[in-house]
Amino acid sequence: MAEKRETIRQGVIITGFGGQGIVLAGRILGMAAALGDHKESTLVQSYGPESRGGACCAQVIISNNVIQYPYVAMPDVLVCMSHSAYEKYKDQLKPDGVLLTDKDLVRPDEKRDYFSIPATRMAEELGRKMMANIIMLGFTTAITSLVSVESAKEAVTSSVPKGTEEKNIIAFTKGYDYGLSKIKGREKKVIGRAGAIS
Amino acid sequence: MENFKIIVFLCNWGPHTAYHDLQDKEYGVPSEIKMVRIPCTGRISKALLFKAFEMGADGVALVGCKSGTCRYGSGTENAAMNTEDTKDILELLGLGNDRMRFSTFLPDETNSLKRFLEDFCSNVKKLGPSPIKPSREDRISAVPPKNMREIVKEHNVFACQDCGKCTSSCPLALSGKQYSPRAIAASIIAEEMDSDEVQKDVWSCLTCGTCYERCPSDVNFPSFIRDVRGCLSDNGYNECHQTHGGFFQSLMRAMTFSELKSQKWNNLPGDIKIDPKSKILFFGGCAPYFDVFFRNHRGIKTSNILMDSLRLLNFFDIQPAILNNERCCGHDLLWSGDRKSFLKLAKLTVESIHDLGIEEVITSCPECFKTISSDYEANGIKLNFKVTHMYEFLENEIDKAAVSFDGLDRHITYQDSCRLARHGKIKDFPRKLIRRLQPESFTEMMDSGNAALCCGNCAWTGCDSFSKALQSKRIRQAHSTGSDLLVTSCPKCQIHLRCAMEDPFLGKEFMMEMQDLTSIIAKTICWD
Repeated sequence: MAEKRETIRQGVIITGFGGQGIVLAGRILGMAAALGDHKESTLVQSYGPESRGGACCAQVIISNNVIQYPYVAMPDVLVCMSHSAYEKYKDQLKPDGVLLTDKDLVRPDEKRDYFSIPATRMAEELGRKMMANIIMLGFTTAITSLVSVESAKEAVTSSVPKGTEEKNIIAFTKGYDYGLSKIKGREKKVIGRAGAIS
Repeated sequence: MENFKIIVFLCNWGPHTAYHDLQDKEYGVPSEIKMVRIPCTGRISKALLFKAFEMGADGVALVGCKSGTCRYGSGTENAAMNTEDTKDILELLGLGNDRMRFSTFLPDETNSLKRFLEDFCSNVKKLGPSPIKPSREDRISAVPPKNMREIVKEHNVFACQDCGKCTSSCPLALSGKQYSPRAIAASIIAEEMDSDEVQKDVWSCLTCGTCYERCPSDVNFPSFIRDVRGCLSDNGYNECHQTHGGFFQSLMRAMTFSELKSQKWNNLPGDIKIDPKSKILFFGGCAPYFDVFFRNHRGIKTSNILMDSLRLLNFFDIQPAILNNERCCGHDLLWSGDRKSFLKLAKLTVESIHDLGIEEVITSCPECFKTISSDYEANGIKLNFKVTHMYEFLENEIDKAAVSFDGLDRHITYQDSCRLARHGKIKDFPRKLIRRLQPESFTEMMDSGNAALCCGNCAWTGCDSFSKALQSKRIRQAHSTGSDLLVTSCPKCQIHLRCAMEDPFLGKEFMMEMQDLTSIIAKTICWD
């Protein structure tokens, strides 16, 4: 193995209230990278009281080489599903990192650009608030391309409780479509067509 | 050699003296000219002017007295306005506004009248014969007429239990009119064809469908009335109940001639993108004609709805096709009893849509939606495309798109269109869309959704003081919600309610801003 590959290593922190499915989202993301995209991935998750309320967090590393150290000090991607979690982690995000938030639950005071999705509201409209994490995952997949859509969907199907696969895929797709549409909207804004009437 | 037909409506006073003088001098009036002597040009309405074209005239001239010499004062000004509107509609329709002229003469202007007649004649000949060529056969029904017995049977009117729920829910009856759906049904079952119930009341029905909602025997009263009207028209009872002098029925019948090439889509604003090869077609409807006809009413700009719909399609990256020779969908003819012309329009429309290989038709007009999506097939015209209403399209797109709306700090209430809410079963989409706009408040009127009150008229038929009472009631309901913006979904709701708001006695207290939902969305939507 003389060939030396350049290491592309991305650290992700997914954070929010305990109970929002933060750890599950992190696990699915890591599984999608490892099982679907055949990369290396690690997950460090919150234990203890955080996972039952308060700021809970999942640290995921996705890399094309062996990962030596599983903690994420400065994430490339920060996904926030609660404002308190945002306050806690916002300063750790790399200067060129990507910030993803839940539109209704986080009010970022950011100078930099960030991407928000009303994930919890959308999940409520779909009938299950607990699917907000899957919607967020779909959104993350669309915006960041950390993992491929197919792997992400597969990982979702194999991780959620039996019988809810279909609903979760609908939720994932909703988040994913919203993400694509967000990117499209950004492009339109750049060319100066933000509204329907110019 | 083509026989040209040119109608000259000639005022009895000024110009007729000049015309007389021409005849005295044995001047040969061109043989194409058919002179109709009238008491005053001001009384020749848009409907009468257009009627001449519908009956096959190649040119129509309205000749009156010089401004200031009108015996009745305002005749010349009225005539000028009517001619201007009619000319603009002729232009939209594709007949060309050169076929219509208005001119005025003093009694002694014999020579200028002569020059005018000659000049107009040669001009019309240059334009060639009118594409509207009604033939004698056209007047005879091509569709096998149904008789009343068949109609009663088909709609199962015998199931009427005489319970009276229809009358007690009928918005016309509730605004004080001596009018009862069940009495109409009973008279028709008893074949009392000369009774008032049949002769008058059949034409008053709004076909709004409230009675059908309530009927325990599920008698579809609106469709029943539609077929009864068709049957009565086949037997020659016609026209007297049409509003605006039957202008719109004439206009729509004129569109049944396939040679006519509409100019409706000319002058599209430059920001709107159209793709003739698209598999999605936007069907606009007749709003541009309405805007010209009603331009003396304040704030009637219903064609904006079409432009805003196109902009919204563009916003979601759809560049739709449009029918260059788009005609009326036929709704008003079908519902005012002219089934034969309806079928002609329907066939022409469907043919031209099929020719473009269209897979989906999107329309923002509730009547076009209802007619194309259900009445065409019910009349045996097969469609190879699906029909979607703009609100359904918008709700589906907005649901998956990252868009937001500029704040709308208005208090909103919503006027359901009967064709959309009751006939088309689309009442949740507009409400979802309104909530997405996040207005200051959204309050339903006392009667809403399935129970919504009609805007007071349908298919330009049977408007009277009770329609006005009904409209006033509706506007009061809108005001009592405390809203300052009445959101509508149908161009006709806007026209009819605006008409009622221009009441000279109640005007100020009645006025309320109206906007179409599609237009509001187009104004406020933006990428997030």
